[in-house]
Amino acid sequence: MTKDVVLDHVSIRFGGYTAVENAHLTIRGGEFFSFLGPSGCGKTTLLRCISGFVQPSAGRVLIGGEDMRNVGPNKRPTALIFQNLALFPLLTVAENIAFPLEVRRVGRKQRRKRADELLEMIALPGTGDKKVHELSGGQKQRVAIARALAAEPDILLLDEPLSALDLKLRQHMRTELRAIQQRVGLTFIYITHDQGEALTMSDQVAVMNAGVIEQIDNPETIYNRPRTPFVASFVGESNAIHGVVLSQTGRLATLDTPLGPLTGQAAGGRTYLPKERCTLFVRPEQLFIADTPPEVNTIKAKRVNEEFEGSIRTLYLQAGGEALRLYHMNAAVSAALASGDGAVTVSFKPEQATILPDDPALSG
Amino acid sequence: MTSLARFSRDFSSRHGTGAASFVVAAVLFWIVFLILLPQLAMLDVSFRHNLPRPEVGGPRDVHTLDNYRYFLFGNSGGAALNALDIGVLTKTLVAAVLVTVLDILLCYPIAFILAHSASGAGARLMVIGLIVPFWINDILRAFAFRILFGATGVINGVGLSLGLWDQPIDFIRADVALYAGLAYTYVLLMVFSIYNAVETLDRNQIEAARDMGASWWRVHWRIVLPVAKPGIASGATMVFMLTAGALAAPQILGGPSNLWFTQLIYQWFNDAGDWARGSAYATILLVVCLAFVFLMMRIFRVSIGAIGR
Amino acid sequence: MNRGVGGGLFAFSYTLLFFLFLFGPLIIMVITAFNSSAFPRVVPWECFTTDWFGLLIRNERLMTGLWTSLAIGIAVVAIAVPFGLAGALALADIGPRLRAGLYAVLITPILIPGVVLGISTIVFWSFVGRKLGAGYDTVFYNGLFLTLLGQVAFIASYAMLILSARLQRFDPTLTEAALDLGATPGQAFRKILLPFLKPALGSAAFITFLASFENYNTTVFTILSGNTFTTALASKVRHGTDPSLSALAVIIIAVTLIGAMVQEAHHRRRDLLRGGRPERSRLYANPLTRLLTHPAAILLILVGCTGAIIWQASHHDAQACRADILSEKQRVQERLLQEQQQRMQQRQTQTPAAPTAPSNNPSPFGGAFNPGSLAPK
Repeated sequence: MTKDVVLDHVSIRFGGYTAVENAHLTIRGGEFFSFLGPSGCGKTTLLRCISGFVQPSAGRVLIGGEDMRNVGPNKRPTALIFQNLALFPLLTVAENIAFPLEVRRVGRKQRRKRADELLEMIALPGTGDKKVHELSGGQKQRVAIARALAAEPDILLLDEPLSALDLKLRQHMRTELRAIQQRVGLTFIYITHDQGEALTMSDQVAVMNAGVIEQIDNPETIYNRPRTPFVASFVGESNAIHGVVLSQTGRLATLDTPLGPLTGQAAGGRTYLPKERCTLFVRPEQLFIADTPPEVNTIKAKRVNEEFEGSIRTLYLQAGGEALRLYHMNAAVSAALASGDGAVTVSFKPEQATILPDDPALSG
Repeated sequence: MTSLARFSRDFSSRHGTGAASFVVAAVLFWIVFLILLPQLAMLDVSFRHNLPRPEVGGPRDVHTLDNYRYFLFGNSGGAALNALDIGVLTKTLVAAVLVTVLDILLCYPIAFILAHSASGAGARLMVIGLIVPFWINDILRAFAFRILFGATGVINGVGLSLGLWDQPIDFIRADVALYAGLAYTYVLLMVFSIYNAVETLDRNQIEAARDMGASWWRVHWRIVLPVAKPGIASGATMVFMLTAGALAAPQILGGPSNLWFTQLIYQWFNDAGDWARGSAYATILLVVCLAFVFLMMRIFRVSIGAIGR
Repeated sequence: MNRGVGGGLFAFSYTLLFFLFLFGPLIIMVITAFNSSAFPRVVPWECFTTDWFGLLIRNERLMTGLWTSLAIGIAVVAIAVPFGLAGALALADIGPRLRAGLYAVLITPILIPGVVLGISTIVFWSFVGRKLGAGYDTVFYNGLFLTLLGQVAFIASYAMLILSARLQRFDPTLTEAALDLGATPGQAFRKILLPFLKPALGSAAFITFLASFENYNTTVFTILSGNTFTTALASKVRHGTDPSLSALAVIIIAVTLIGAMVQEAHHRRRDLLRGGRPERSRLYANPLTRLLTHPAAILLILVGCTGAIIWQASHHDAQACRADILSEKQRVQERLLQEQQQRMQQRQTQTPAAPTAPSNNPSPFGGAFNPGSLAPK
């Protein structure tokens, strides 16, 4: 029943412009798979390629092992939820949902029955006779999903469907979407520029930049073990500290930086040569204020500014000419914070920092 | 042709083969059989002699410049210019320009008021007020102006009884009735053309300019007019072409001795039965008018894409 | 409301004058329809009459022209609207480089003088007819057929403009969504795009019909020896006028106004319903006013009123008044005659002075009431 989606070395070009470069991946049936990237990175083009509106310039799209070349969007086992939802404004809610059945010449009664079932499922019973414009943003969202499900696709494609909603509703819909996905057991392919959405909902995330897929992993790995500088800086907040390699022992490498020698984990089990230019990425929440002198990674910093944000406090620090950010849990008491001159010592655990080469071409 | 093929392929994948073949067939038929070929046929006939039907296609049916020569020199055989016909054409063009300018002056304030001063019910009332006169037949509009301006018409009646003038003024002979009637006929076209352009102007811009102390004419000159320009160009083009090509109003409102160029065409074609010369005159009208419009578009830097928007 | 630009008073008075210019001629024409004077005029007012309406309806040439015009109008709508739709669709989906060219081509028929279109149409189709060896009784020499083609050539452009404007507001992802949900391209076209265009198709049909019905410049050539309503009207106006044309204007204006009012009611009602809170409006709280503001009710009321007026007017008899006017005229004429005779006698008895102005005086009463004016200067 579930079908794998395979992108086999897919490239998409418009004239001289390359929107997608050599995308090569497999999305397993039943997975919640996200493409994450900034706007203009080619993720929507890739989605339109899977749904059949765009033909790949090179490579193949396979769904359930079948080559999709020359298969029109209306013949593919996919259903796309458009960014603007594309609900038909002249049809009622029920007619919208039953549209896929109508075009398959299912009888009127049966159509209505199925529409009501789906409305029940998305918790909007009794709204079938309303016009689309009478619904709220979140309700439209769910109707769009119900309409797509009525087409009985194997794969549901979602193009930033939550971007038009306000923050509260967006967070609520994340949980809802995930729940729907688990209930219907379909493959969801989800496009977003919002890392929160990608990380909370997905089984697998592909991070895209400028038409290239930079990393495909589960959310935790993406966050904790970024494999490219782009992923490290795009997903989550990071302090980036540039330096050159001093030494490497096992998976831990030490860099010579303006802040002094700092040790972190070499990304992806790489081996660095001495003098190689690298960057160490450490997340603000992994920096901590050392009340007692730490064994490694001692950074003498000066407090420049701070912002109180409820559960956490963001400290803006200056060290060796670099600006650093540190999230401090307000529940944790620190004597150093109270000191008047603003001098603090901060540190991080070597396993929680990632060292990436500045020029990825130089090391494997 | 390759682009046509690509268009129909893309189009049919979007809207279906049926829709695509309908679109291609209809547009081609429209362009080729209703626009292009008739104009070419007219052009061809304009270069021929007016022959009785049996001789058409015979040895005497050859191309000639006679009809155009006649327009330029009349029967004088090149000795003297055909002052009468050339004069009529010139007068028609000048009058059409006059009517167009009159309509611009008349309609610009109304379009602006409609777009930026009137609101709600007032604006709707104005729109209805603009459209209602437009629904009344051209002929009847001209007729109304004849009632208004005739020797025993309302204006003469009022003028005489108020003692403004003591002899009935012949407005018809003076072409006042004709110009007023033509301007009246195309008011709606001009108002909506300018309105469409002016409406896009953000009202804050006007208020900002006023805040900075600009006088109202400067606000119009520097801010509103540049936005209105494509609308004015579109309206002016249509009004000019329609006025220059008008036939009914000159026939009804024109003085007995004053001819409009279309009336010359009508006379050659219908009264004299000379299709060739009528075609030549029609071609002259078309070419001269289009050339004039394109020249104006050049001067005012407007593209044809602005027309009809 | 309009802070300073053009000023409130200026705007108001200008608008007033402008609409006076628009409606003045129409109002005067309407008034002349009810004056019994054989020449359409307001002054001197003779008698209130509705006879001109009867004369209008008895005008056979106009009435046959009316049927011809209706037939042509319907045929033009049936062809020009689909053509306009095709043009609009082609413009919407064609590449940006070709679009400007196609737009220029499809818009030119509006710019070409109607006279030129008319001539080119008959010249071309008679050429085709001749090449095919067709006789004068074939379609190529048929006024209705030629008028249809000549009118469609430019009226389709109007339809295209209207449909294009609507099409620009169409969200193409709706078509994509339909395709994605399994519709064939044809189904997406019929079920999504066409219904979206429906209101514009309606107004395009209306405008094309009106344009066809009103057209004179092209039709006067293409109709050949026949007559449409408008060409019959024009020849009537050119060869002597009478107030039955004013009566026609009254009918058209009345129909137009009724149409405009019903349309306006329809708009208001739709806005109210779309606002989502019709129950808040006072008009809708009361079932009676709610019914009364329904467009259909308004149409019924207006048509009813008009009917009542017509019935009332048809029972009005201007005969007595007209007789009065006639006898009054005769009286005036007799008196003038008498005065003239008197004057002649006076002149003969007095010095045979140079003939002075009175006979040139345009006033019907001359200087008759002012004998002093006859005094030598």
